[in-house]
Amino acid sequence: MIELAQQPRVGQHVRAEAAFVAFLRRLDWVLLAAAAALVGYGLWILSGITRFDVPGDESYFVVRQGLAAGIGLAGLIAAIVIPVDLARRHWQLVYVATLALMIVVFVAAETIRGSKRWIDLGFIQFQPSELGKVLFVLAIAGFLVERVGRVTRWRTIFSAIGLGSAPILLVFMQPDLGTALVYAAALFAVLFFVGVRWRQLLALLAIGAVGIAAVLWLLPEAGIQVLKPYQAARLTLDPDADPSGITYNLDQSITAVGSGGLTGRGVVEASQTRLDYLPEHATDFAFASLAEQRGFVGSAILLLLYLLIVWRGLRVVTVAGDLYGAVVAGGLVFAFLFQVFVNVGMTMGVAPVTGIPLPFVTVGGSSMVANLVLIGVLQGIHARGEQPAGRLTA
Amino acid sequence: MSANPYQQTRAPSGRFLPPDPRVREPHRLTPQLALRVAILGVVALVAFTVLFFRLWSLQVLSGDEHLNVAQNNQLRLVRVEAPRGPILDRRGRVVVSNVAGTAVQLWVGDMPEEGRYALVQKLARVLDVPPRALAREVDERRLDPLTPITVKTAVGEEQVNYLYEHQAEFPGVEIVQVYLRDYAYAALAAQILGYTGEISPEELERLRRDGYRSGDRIGKTGIEASYDSYLRGRPGLAQIRVDNLGRPQSPIELRQEARPGYALRLTLDMRLQRAAEEALQYGIDLAHENKHWAADGGAIVALDPRDGAIRAMASAPTFKPSVFVGRVDPKKLDALYNDATNPLFNRAIAGLYPPGSTWKPITAIAGMQEHVISPYESLQCTPSARYGLDRQVFRNWNPFVNRPMTLPEALAESCDTYFYEIGNEFYEGGTESRVRMQQWARRLGFGGPTGLDIGGEADGLLPTPEWRRKTFESDWDRAWNPGDSIQLAIGQKDLLVTPLQMTAFYAMLANGGNIVTPYLVSNVEQPGGKGSPRVVLRRFAPPPPQPAGVDAGALTAVRDGLYLATHSGTGTSAGVFSGYSVPISGKTGTAEKVVQLPGYPSDHLEDQSWWCGWGPSDAARLVVCALIENGGHGSSAAAPAALRVFERFFGVEAPPGVLVDTD
Repeated sequence: MIELAQQPRVGQHVRAEAAFVAFLRRLDWVLLAAAAALVGYGLWILSGITRFDVPGDESYFVVRQGLAAGIGLAGLIAAIVIPVDLARRHWQLVYVATLALMIVVFVAAETIRGSKRWIDLGFIQFQPSELGKVLFVLAIAGFLVERVGRVTRWRTIFSAIGLGSAPILLVFMQPDLGTALVYAAALFAVLFFVGVRWRQLLALLAIGAVGIAAVLWLLPEAGIQVLKPYQAARLTLDPDADPSGITYNLDQSITAVGSGGLTGRGVVEASQTRLDYLPEHATDFAFASLAEQRGFVGSAILLLLYLLIVWRGLRVVTVAGDLYGAVVAGGLVFAFLFQVFVNVGMTMGVAPVTGIPLPFVTVGGSSMVANLVLIGVLQGIHARGEQPAGRLTA
Repeated sequence: MSANPYQQTRAPSGRFLPPDPRVREPHRLTPQLALRVAILGVVALVAFTVLFFRLWSLQVLSGDEHLNVAQNNQLRLVRVEAPRGPILDRRGRVVVSNVAGTAVQLWVGDMPEEGRYALVQKLARVLDVPPRALAREVDERRLDPLTPITVKTAVGEEQVNYLYEHQAEFPGVEIVQVYLRDYAYAALAAQILGYTGEISPEELERLRRDGYRSGDRIGKTGIEASYDSYLRGRPGLAQIRVDNLGRPQSPIELRQEARPGYALRLTLDMRLQRAAEEALQYGIDLAHENKHWAADGGAIVALDPRDGAIRAMASAPTFKPSVFVGRVDPKKLDALYNDATNPLFNRAIAGLYPPGSTWKPITAIAGMQEHVISPYESLQCTPSARYGLDRQVFRNWNPFVNRPMTLPEALAESCDTYFYEIGNEFYEGGTESRVRMQQWARRLGFGGPTGLDIGGEADGLLPTPEWRRKTFESDWDRAWNPGDSIQLAIGQKDLLVTPLQMTAFYAMLANGGNIVTPYLVSNVEQPGGKGSPRVVLRRFAPPPPQPAGVDAGALTAVRDGLYLATHSGTGTSAGVFSGYSVPISGKTGTAEKVVQLPGYPSDHLEDQSWWCGWGPSDAARLVVCALIENGGHGSSAAAPAALRVFERFFGVEAPPGVLVDTD
């Protein structure tokens, strides 16, 4: 110490370094390792399921996905460094940015297969609704936490739902029903963690159930079609509505999962994937393709990694330094869980068929970047939160 | 901020004192939040348990059943190619259609491992295709057993019979019906129509979400590319039983009919198109006769000045799109790609040339609009003039003239010194004035695409003082000198335009001041089947002509000048047009361009022969621009070529004219 005092410059340098090391120590390394493992494992999975997709270039999608992961790493670091509290103080800005992203899609996006989800940035196609997911949670949580004393009032609850509906509707109109559902789940989770009463939550769930019933069965009876026929057919798994399409996909998906067995059929033998029985096996049905190629063991490893992320994420809720951090972490974790469950469940016939990407696996740079940013936000909350004494801090 | 309840909860002392922002009371995990985290944890566990049990039951408990289904009951959905839509000319003549062809395909997955090469050689001999290329293709396709190799299209009956009789000797060989693009007019309008080819990996990545799949045929250039979404139709679905290596085990069973592509109706008139292409060749031959041996290409554009409909668009040299049909011959293709004269290139829309004197009407309009000249005041037309500090000499193309001229006379005789004067005035007017002519040119459609519906247009180049500053390195090159303004006035030096831009501008002169947007496709139609009529599904109305904002008096002076140019005794193309019974107005151009020719210095200049104009003079129905690369004088190559187009359009032959070399 004496030496350091004699060389104040070096001392400052060392202090800054020490602070940096202390900050690094405050990160949740288990969560970070789980995310890194998921990225690596996801790329390996992708190399199998897309091997025969581009003739003559076996690693076409893997290379692109790897580049996206590189961009995502930058996003992750940025999300750790930027304090999440900034989003709380300026939640209005975050909200406007979310809306702007959604509106830009309508103005600038190319229509791809009848839906406007992607913006062509030249080298990469950017799907704003993926990143919008994180911004959405930050904004809605900001709104509610600002009114923390009044969150049990119906007025506040409905304001939050009204605020959330605008981006949800915009995503729904792209049309991207699956992502709209993820947004809705995130909205519910934010209300849940910010302290809305149980009976209020139950009432909201009841309203939601009535709404879903109305959209799927009651309103079509009355002649009003909210959903496109194919969307309704997917949600209700109605085989008559779309004989060659969705039930065909689902049958093929279940066959693919089942045929994988305990250890999988391998990349070359996995005929469901290789012979294109499984449509969209690099995107929406990636899990089925994985299950076919790598079997129960390979799929279970992926699910366990997801579970690890969810567990560490919930732990972040408990160590968060303030209510806002806790609510944001809770909203993001639940949205992640919902997304994993609906996607994986869909391929096995236990959840409705909607086009939701499987985090860290599905081909798609925007999804990869958004999920890494999500991990970064959780890390940032963790690092600025309360540390259990005597474990991570020396 | 103290009203913010969020802040207050973090400062418990706030009940008695105002909250101290410096005190950050740690957020404590409330029992309520802890309970909820626990509940969500339980939900997560339940969700994952559901997934694990389902996964276990599917994969381990009933895995064998599913494996059986996957291995044995292999009903594959395959795409059935939809016939590509036909392309019709404006009168309904079929320009491009499909013919059913017999093709021989090879499924690599079905070939035996042993003796693969012998089989390839035998097949290549029967079908008369190069065996080595085929063997290479087979090797490349081994990883992708689902896409067969098309060995040969348009297979003769004898060969088909031989293959059928010796089916057992050719495992993996299949004879199928395919649709082949058929070009009724051979090479006519080749660059406009474009060609199709197999989708490339880059295109596939971009278009995968639009339903394109590997192996699809897609338009690569021209109309085939720009209107691909209409022409391609929707593939049908068929189901086929295959084994677990993807080899077909049953005949194809159709589940969903393919929807054939829609028909496109063009604005082109194929008879006029043929006349234009022949006229272009005639112009090139004339240039050769005049000892302009480097004349090797050119373009002619003919359009309706009332709405911008393109009636003919020729670009020479040209090619036969049929070389891209079916199994392509790499040698022919390489020859086409490596041809130095670039036949695939549409010179009418993307070729860049200095316009020479055909530019003078733009200078005249800018001069009148900016009050630099008055059309009916005379200026002395001299053999040469001196401008700038160094008294640089600028010569007139005609060294024997020395008399006063009004604007119409100066246009008719293409007096260079008259226009030098305008250019110099713009230069002398100062910094702002030096871009005035370019501003007018931009307004009249130069320096950017005209908006043609098939795209692929070049912008051209409108030189400005700013462009010079940005483009060049040395101070000498970066300066905008009097010569820049003066040469610009006669369409020389750095200025570059496309033939289509010139045609669109002359259409504005012809129709009385409205700028049209040129277009090639007028309708998308449902092709009429046997006895059923065609149904127009979509009309592509071009944007209505927009007033260019040119003063009516200025326009009249220019139009008068261009009428004199083809009719008065001293008019530059009067020798060609004055004897023609339909009154034609128009302007010649002879533009010097640096052309790289073998055996010549690198700054060798060749004359680009131009003629642009319309007819009938006072009620224009057709605008024609002709350009002969390196063709010499405008009056002796481009003008006679343009006349040929008018002859066919009006159905009136011209008496033999007199060809003189004028500007």
